Amino acid sequence: MIPLGLAISVAIFLIAPILIIVPMSFSTSISFAFPPPAYWLGYYRAYFSNPEWLIPTANSFIVAFSTMLVTMLLVLPACFAFVRNRFAGKGLVNQLFLLPLIVPQVVSALGYYGFLSRLRIVGTHLGLIVAHTALAMPVSFLVICAALKGYDRNLERAAMSAGAGPLRTFLWVTLPVLRPGILVAALFAFLQSFNEAVVAIFISGRDAATLPKKMFESIRLESDPIIAVVSSLLTGAVLLGVVIPLLFRRKTGRAT
Amino acid sequence: MAATPVMTNPVRFAPVGATRWLRFGRGTTIWLLLAPAGLFLALLFVVPIGYVLVLSVTDPTVSLNHFRRIVTVPLYTSVMLNTFRTSLIVTLTCLFLGYPFAYVMARRNDVVSLILLIIVGMSFWTGFVVRTYAWLVILGNRGPVVAAFGALGLGKPPQLLFTSFSSTLGMTHILLPYMVLALYGVMKKIDVGLLRAAASLGARPNRAFREVFLPQSLPGVVNGSVLVFTICLGFYVTPILLGTPKDMMISQLINQQIEELLAWGFASALAVVLLVATTTLLVVYNRFVGLDRLWG
Repeated sequence: MIPLGLAISVAIFLIAPILIIVPMSFSTSISFAFPPPAYWLGYYRAYFSNPEWLIPTANSFIVAFSTMLVTMLLVLPACFAFVRNRFAGKGLVNQLFLLPLIVPQVVSALGYYGFLSRLRIVGTHLGLIVAHTALAMPVSFLVICAALKGYDRNLERAAMSAGAGPLRTFLWVTLPVLRPGILVAALFAFLQSFNEAVVAIFISGRDAATLPKKMFESIRLESDPIIAVVSSLLTGAVLLGVVIPLLFRRKTGRAT
Repeated sequence: MAATPVMTNPVRFAPVGATRWLRFGRGTTIWLLLAPAGLFLALLFVVPIGYVLVLSVTDPTVSLNHFRRIVTVPLYTSVMLNTFRTSLIVTLTCLFLGYPFAYVMARRNDVVSLILLIIVGMSFWTGFVVRTYAWLVILGNRGPVVAAFGALGLGKPPQLLFTSFSSTLGMTHILLPYMVLALYGVMKKIDVGLLRAAASLGARPNRAFREVFLPQSLPGVVNGSVLVFTICLGFYVTPILLGTPKDMMISQLINQQIEELLAWGFASALAVVLLVATTTLLVVYNRFVGLDRLWG
């Protein structure tokens, strides 16, 4: 009974601060006042008509989507080669792939700022996509490798013995079986980029500013009530993103 | 049996060709598949980090002066010490809060554990900036804490925002999900049968927990603590938005050096110190546990 009570208190500690933002976003108050004096939808309207916020939103989506694509294109073949073979230097390759997770984000941010300004791509989508791809690779690598390790190679042998060629086996057997792992890895890459703040604060400049960067700046400079709107929308999206897969899993009864 | 030859023949032949192709041959093909990702990381991650290392000893002039200052100037040593102390406090608090939470999540298999899982998941996937903003509202001058103090007739509460308290609280809140998930990953694998066996041999629940469950959950404790501690050492967003320049953490100092003084060399030297501290910790961890396990 004691652990349950503690767990519930901790759960409230975790979730209450996030939920408190939602009523704030409907507040008429200009500053961060809680409880709100009155409610309206004005700041939602302001958000959806203000390019100062819509452009960073679009930037976030563009960068996160591209990061996801590039990450998957790079990581997927590497995982196949890595899991299915023993070779000299495997340990080193493993460490290289995990490196972006080990290096503190401020350090990466500092490095990218210096490096990308040399290449003259600070403050561009390209620069941000490069940095975010590097940062997203480790987790995608771990997820896909884990899926590959648990994959039964006999399925491929069976397909081949039934007359399927290598390409057909890959497209019709290997990929579909690995699909959940690949989708999870892609989603992680997307979210990693979408949520990433530190590198974005350093290198996205004005033109390529992402939502986290824009929020960070406007929290520091002014108390723009639109921050509450953006936060609420993001929280809503996360809620859907977390709850839907769980419900879906319950229904299909799968264990992944 | 009559059917056996038909069944076995193709199976015996196919794997030879199949496996060879699906392993993509040997040697060169392996490296061809690894090359795009490997080169990407080498050129577009390792090189930028190397740039920081170079900058730390060459900007503005070639010397080790920056590092000498970091270890000798009291202001900077106190920042290092403060970073270390804050990270330790955050880690221990996360452990203290996360353990019972993960325990309940792992041991129950009902709607409660599902709700807890949703809450951790939501918390984990809500960005750092959003959650930091939430604490700005809660602890702010017109926030609910101040309102509650007023309603209870306690007058004005002490300054909450922009103190090391608010910054520590914010980081604990943000890093707690990492701790919980690390603990949960290990706890979920503990065999419930062992606890039943302990009970059937006469162990009270407390003793069964202490002697059976707790020791087996220790790898999770280590994973979670290493994870939280290392992230906390270099935490950027929250200390800057919630903390105070009086009790700076290393990332605040880096930020200040760049924004106010444009001192890239010194900022890089600080980053190198941070990098070395984090790497040392993870090398030790790698030696005893293995880096692959850290992220479950």
